Amino acid sequence: MSWLVLTLLVVPFVSAVATLGFGHRAEGAGRGIAVGGSLLTLGLATAVAVPHLGAAAPLTHVYAETAATLPPFQLAVLVDPLSAVLLLLAGTVAALVQVYSLGYLRGDSRYPSYAALVSIFTGAMCTVVVADDLWVLLVGWELMGACSYFLISHHWELAEARAGAVKAFLMTRTADLGLLFAILLLGERFGSYRISTILEAVAGQALQRDELWLPAVLVAVSVMGKSAQFPFHTWLPDAMPGPTPISALIHAATMVAAGVFLVARLYPLFVSAPAALTLLALTAAATMFLAALYALVTDDLKRVLAWSTVSQLAYMFGALALGAWSAGVMHLLSHGAFKALLFLAAGSVMHAVGSTSMDRMGGLRTKLPDTFATMTIGFAALAGVVPFVGFFSKDAVIAGAYEGAVHGRLVWPWVAWVLVGSMVLTAVLTVAYSLRAWLLTFFGPEQEHADELDLHEAPPSMRVPLWLLVVPTTIGGFVVLNPAAVLGPEHVEQMFHVGESILMTALVAVTSLVVLALWRSRGRELWPRVVVPHPPVDRLYDAALVRPVRWLARLVVAADRDVVDGYADGAGGTARGVGGLLRLAQNGNVQSYLMVVVVGAAAVAVVAGAVTT
Amino acid sequence: MNLSALVLNGMVAAPVVLVVLVLLVARLSEAAAVRVAAFGGLVVLGWSVWLAALSQTRLDGTAVDVPWLAAIDVRWHLGVDGISLPLLLMSTVVFACTLLALVRNAPDCGGTAWLAALLLLIEAGVLGSFLALDLVLFFAFFEVALIPMWFVIDQWGDAHGPRGLQQRRRAATRFLVFTVLGSALMLVGFVVVRSETGTFDIVRIAASYDPVGPVALTAAALVALGLAVKTPLWPLHIWLPDAHSKAPTVGSVVLAAVLLKLGTYGFLRFWLPLVDPGWDWLLPVVGGVAVVGIVYGALACLAQTDLKRLIAYSSVGHMGFVVLAAATYTIGGVQGAVYASVAHGVVTGLLFFLAGAVKDRYGTGDLRELRGLYGRVPRLGGLVAFGAMASLGLPGLAGFWGEMLAVRAALFPAGVLPRVTFVGFAVVAALGVILASAYFLALLRSAFQAGETGASPPPAVVAGDVSRWEWLVWSPLVAAIVVLGVAPGLLLTPVAEATVAFLGGGR
Repeated sequence: MSWLVLTLLVVPFVSAVATLGFGHRAEGAGRGIAVGGSLLTLGLATAVAVPHLGAAAPLTHVYAETAATLPPFQLAVLVDPLSAVLLLLAGTVAALVQVYSLGYLRGDSRYPSYAALVSIFTGAMCTVVVADDLWVLLVGWELMGACSYFLISHHWELAEARAGAVKAFLMTRTADLGLLFAILLLGERFGSYRISTILEAVAGQALQRDELWLPAVLVAVSVMGKSAQFPFHTWLPDAMPGPTPISALIHAATMVAAGVFLVARLYPLFVSAPAALTLLALTAAATMFLAALYALVTDDLKRVLAWSTVSQLAYMFGALALGAWSAGVMHLLSHGAFKALLFLAAGSVMHAVGSTSMDRMGGLRTKLPDTFATMTIGFAALAGVVPFVGFFSKDAVIAGAYEGAVHGRLVWPWVAWVLVGSMVLTAVLTVAYSLRAWLLTFFGPEQEHADELDLHEAPPSMRVPLWLLVVPTTIGGFVVLNPAAVLGPEHVEQMFHVGESILMTALVAVTSLVVLALWRSRGRELWPRVVVPHPPVDRLYDAALVRPVRWLARLVVAADRDVVDGYADGAGGTARGVGGLLRLAQNGNVQSYLMVVVVGAAAVAVVAGAVTT
Repeated sequence: MNLSALVLNGMVAAPVVLVVLVLLVARLSEAAAVRVAAFGGLVVLGWSVWLAALSQTRLDGTAVDVPWLAAIDVRWHLGVDGISLPLLLMSTVVFACTLLALVRNAPDCGGTAWLAALLLLIEAGVLGSFLALDLVLFFAFFEVALIPMWFVIDQWGDAHGPRGLQQRRRAATRFLVFTVLGSALMLVGFVVVRSETGTFDIVRIAASYDPVGPVALTAAALVALGLAVKTPLWPLHIWLPDAHSKAPTVGSVVLAAVLLKLGTYGFLRFWLPLVDPGWDWLLPVVGGVAVVGIVYGALACLAQTDLKRLIAYSSVGHMGFVVLAAATYTIGGVQGAVYASVAHGVVTGLLFFLAGAVKDRYGTGDLRELRGLYGRVPRLGGLVAFGAMASLGLPGLAGFWGEMLAVRAALFPAGVLPRVTFVGFAVVAALGVILASAYFLALLRSAFQAGETGASPPPAVVAGDVSRWEWLVWSPLVAAIVVLGVAPGLLLTPVAEATVAFLGGGR
């Protein structure tokens, strides 16, 4: 079995190299390798995952280790139900994305590098979910950041694609420093970098919480960066210039999902560190509401979906922060299915319309019947309409959070209640923005010039993945309701709550009626147009970090130039070099420059530290 | 002479013999001489593999140890262990690549055979420095490596622009003056050490020297100052950007990948044994200067407008990580220092090759003019992106482990060192990683992705994407970056064993 896991980790990388090697010579070969590799990965992932669902004993294996460092580095894997469900999710979405991309990127000369990066992305996510060594996990974790950077800047001739890619990479990498330091601290504290060893040790000494708060908070910070939670929430919407299938991959199954996975994986550590859980809870409460507000007013279909991802991820963090582990993980899976569906359907819309702006859409339901039907199901799941998967998982999250607020001792009660309140409020907003996006895209009058466009449904390679994703989105509720069968026998929580379900359904119905009434009376201008402000946090980052760093960089160059010139003037020949050196040391101007630089560097460090924590 | 003595002496002698051979053949045919040099580079590489196969990770200084300058008790004392062997192998690989590159990519001004011969002479000095176990012998080999480099920069360097020739000579001379001054300080330090210990033998010094008192401190400070010029450490780095950017491509590669490592190796082999970690200020000051260099180098990179200068300044930051690791006085620190040194060798070597390829094609490395290279030379662009990711320390590629170990060592330094100070160093160094990401992404954004401004990019002087010969020359470096990225144990194990044996287990 362990060789199967290793094969699973190697295949995507081999497939990537082969796609790059052959894709530029023969288009068909590149496509065949990319899709074949992704299907093989899915097959391997299934073979690894299925035996480890439910009550099966987890698989652990160490392939190699380096005893030369203390503690040792180990190439170790752990396959338990949590890994298994995420392997299935990542493998499925990645394979569907590769198939979909055959149609979406038809004729794109950059297809080989694109497909290779998708393969590497998949391999990195698989590495993260089966890693049992924190360094192995970190490799996959950061590799995903790099892949997303390259894929977001796929259309590098667009200025916003370049900017979005850089922003995504720098923001997540800054937050990743938290994970790096957390790994170093945990390794020192527990004498091992093995995840299973550390978690056992944490569980064995649940009362000694003194030393764990710092690594747990640091992990939380890096997770907030990876999953685009406040105050790192701004990179994900700016990553939208990337190709739409990539958004599906990043939002549903890999990069941002990895953040939730990491909290779920290291859950005993978080339970021992209330500070980290409180941080996650407050962040989640703020993020879900804020992101839903953005989604409510933006006019760009992809951005609506991006903000909804930010908001839904916050639900998962909220559930985890209040102790509802199964509900959080189930919402991750459920969201993976319907968000992949939504993004791929949105890609189909854009494929037809040639724009992401909802101002250019409207009345598309007759022109794009398959896209309309599948996207309707996706939006229904996002809004939490019975009986789609999002209804069950979101209700489980809210019910679990409510239980946590009433009975739990993980965080202070007021934090828990703020979070529960935010969840209910955000659920209402979710219905409103989903319905608005659905109406603006598919209903109302067709836009002018629509006749000139040759509006047509996407090719089969793009439609088949949509219908395939409809299956889990529609009947996934059965999985959500049976956590013990999937996540293991210890997860026997009651996932369905009649009271909450009735309440939430009533909220959905009332909100829908209000929005529909507004649509009747006002048409496309459902509520006053709000020009979406650039998130103020971005301006803060710019003023506090970007500009000072640029200024310091210019200062450093000026300092070096002065030093060099001062030296060069005095050094016509080698004999006078010493004199130049001495003059340099006595040059007060230079010294003051350098002093400023040193002090400035320290100040940047302090500011950065304050901002990131 | 037994086998290991033959191999050790041959390691130094082989490049010298090749120099003579190349110059003799050059009288008949320059092209043939360059091919001989390239083949010779491979022979030396093979020889170093042979040496590696014969050697143990623990230092054995008994094979070659004979009097050399008997009057001042300097001995011809060579040996190799797990600290020097990785650097030695990295050097022979890089030299083989540069000599191979010369076969198809001769400099415009001619004299390729002489350039190849000088590179081989530098190689002899470099390999001797990594093998020397006598303080003065190390100094002597170091000088052998330096002087030919002056000619390489001065004769084959970049003479573009107004006053190009003068600037080139100034860069060459500045390099020589600084490094020779550094050597002088180091030599004075060595002499002071001898007055304390009665020997130049680093094996005996490492085993028995107990540095106490102001004289010992002075000696350690002088050696540190000398090595700080060579490594270089901020603020003594100012010779580096000019030398690295004015040198011809092969010269830049050798300067960055190999010559800087003589400084960092010097810190590990010839400085740590001279240091008492209990001294109040020496290690914290060296660590602090290294950390300032990390941030300073990264900031300087952010504002560079020349491709080669940017890569040159990135070296200042990388060397800061190496010296920070050494200054923690831990085994993990030495591991990090060696790892970061080797990784920097292959990564920055590759980057300078790529920068040279860009300059060959477009006649300029000016980042304000270059743009859209992803579209024009996609494979070259992809390689630069790969090199940038390796250099900014992406986990899974070579650059990560060394810098991570440096941060780790600073987080948990030797017990007698001030913990809070070093934790601060670790945090600032980690921020340097973010700045490194920022400047490499800025580079890719402005020159390789399309730019917003600027009318038309410079026309291609040499058309075409990466040639087969270039793939051949660069692929060992690419492979090394991947292998060192996924299998850190390859290097960490021998370094740890050697460090315990050389410095003693308690450190």
